[in-house]
Amino acid sequence: MLSEERIILMTRMASYERGEGRENVKIGNYFRADYIALQILKAIICAIISFGILFGLYLLCNFEELLENLYKMDLLAFGREILTYLVAMVGGYAVLTYIIATWRYAKAKKSLKCYYHNLKKLNSFYHDGQ
Amino acid sequence: MTVLLEMKERIKRIYSKYEAFIVPVLKFLLALITFSTLNGRMGYMTRINDMRIMLIAALTCSFLPVGLMVLMAAVFSLMHMYALSMEVALVGLCMYLIMYLLFFRFSPKDSLVVVLTPLLFSMKIPYVVPIAVGLLCGPSSLVSVGCGIAVFYLLQTVIDSAPNIRTMGEGEGDILAKVRMLVESILDNKAMVVMIAAFALTVLVVYLIRRMSMDYSWTIAMVAGAMVNVVCLLIGDLLYDVNLSVGSVLLGSLLAIVVAKVIEFFRFCVDYSRTERVQFEDDEYYYYVKAIPKMTVSVPTRTVKKINSQRNRSEGAESRPGPSRGGARRGQRGMTVGTAGRQDISQEDSEEYEEWP
Repeated sequence: MLSEERIILMTRMASYERGEGRENVKIGNYFRADYIALQILKAIICAIISFGILFGLYLLCNFEELLENLYKMDLLAFGREILTYLVAMVGGYAVLTYIIATWRYAKAKKSLKCYYHNLKKLNSFYHDGQ
Repeated sequence: MTVLLEMKERIKRIYSKYEAFIVPVLKFLLALITFSTLNGRMGYMTRINDMRIMLIAALTCSFLPVGLMVLMAAVFSLMHMYALSMEVALVGLCMYLIMYLLFFRFSPKDSLVVVLTPLLFSMKIPYVVPIAVGLLCGPSSLVSVGCGIAVFYLLQTVIDSAPNIRTMGEGEGDILAKVRMLVESILDNKAMVVMIAAFALTVLVVYLIRRMSMDYSWTIAMVAGAMVNVVCLLIGDLLYDVNLSVGSVLLGSLLAIVVAKVIEFFRFCVDYSRTERVQFEDDEYYYYVKAIPKMTVSVPTRTVKKINSQRNRSEGAESRPGPSRGGARRGQRGMTVGTAGRQDISQEDSEEYEEWP
């Protein structure tokens, strides 16, 4: 016999699996440290590429000036300065990513806990039915 | 109010019935408006400034995810920039890449916001965006709003600089001058910074207030959001002299509240007068629950009952002997009567069928 409560629960769970749940299940497959480390790694790569683009634009904008002063300027100090900016940008972005990834992981786990609780409930409906 | 609620239920019913068609049509319209606005405002590449190409692109977008619409719009704008000057396209590509790599990866699902924000900016009604996003999305969506604003101001800078860029030559010095001019115009754009700051703060304020457990939180959130937006923009105008029109800001904010009320009607229509507060406990927790009933009405259904004269039908039926007669008549009636009428007549049919030898 059809159980209305069971059908409602199954519909809700199916809707969750298709929408928000898909992403959460993906996150839930990782251990916390693994997920956060992966996100930080991606963030570092993205930040380095972005810094490269920004530096390229900076070089294009100041090309003539740099060429004129190339032999006068302290290249080591210039390199150190650029490296400092790179570390600051990548470090700042990694910290931001760490905060967001931690929050997302906790949120996904909480949501999945509710989902697994509903799965157990659904299972118990079937056992009760038998 | 009842009429409005009935209308809402009807719209919801129509939407759920024809969702498979309505969503692609809406996507098609959004894509078409986006591409035609881009072509209308930029239009440097005459080859893609063609209705047929826009229609093909919009039709493609109607069956693809919204994220690809963003990509296609970016490609359209880059092609226009390339037609203007290769250096402009290079700067545009760099901006898009930085936005994608640093910001957009945090909220990839808000592609619609990235498309709608520049579109509404070009329609001169941008103040709807932060309030609507605060009501419908999460706090991470403020990144998408920021990206949308940056895209609008990038395109605006290109459009404003186009006459100067055209007069410049193609020499090595000119190439660098074009890049420098564009990058400096983007970085010195105080209006963009003020808009991003004001909209980000508005999204946060609206989101935080509407999540509060108080009566009329959505209405309070939208009014507070509009006020925060106006105040931030005016302070930004005072500090950086970005030449904002106070009248347009106020009118735009009022319009934003009206749009937000419409959104609230469709998304969060509750009856605060019937709020219930219950308290219970289990082994681990005490629960203090506030339950607010949704405002709903059942839409009256119309049933059409067609009453044919009994005698004519039975006479016509008598001319065709055999048990198939009743079945044929039943099928005929099933096509003409509504739900309510059908039950009566099928009962009538069964009685007649029993009388049949």
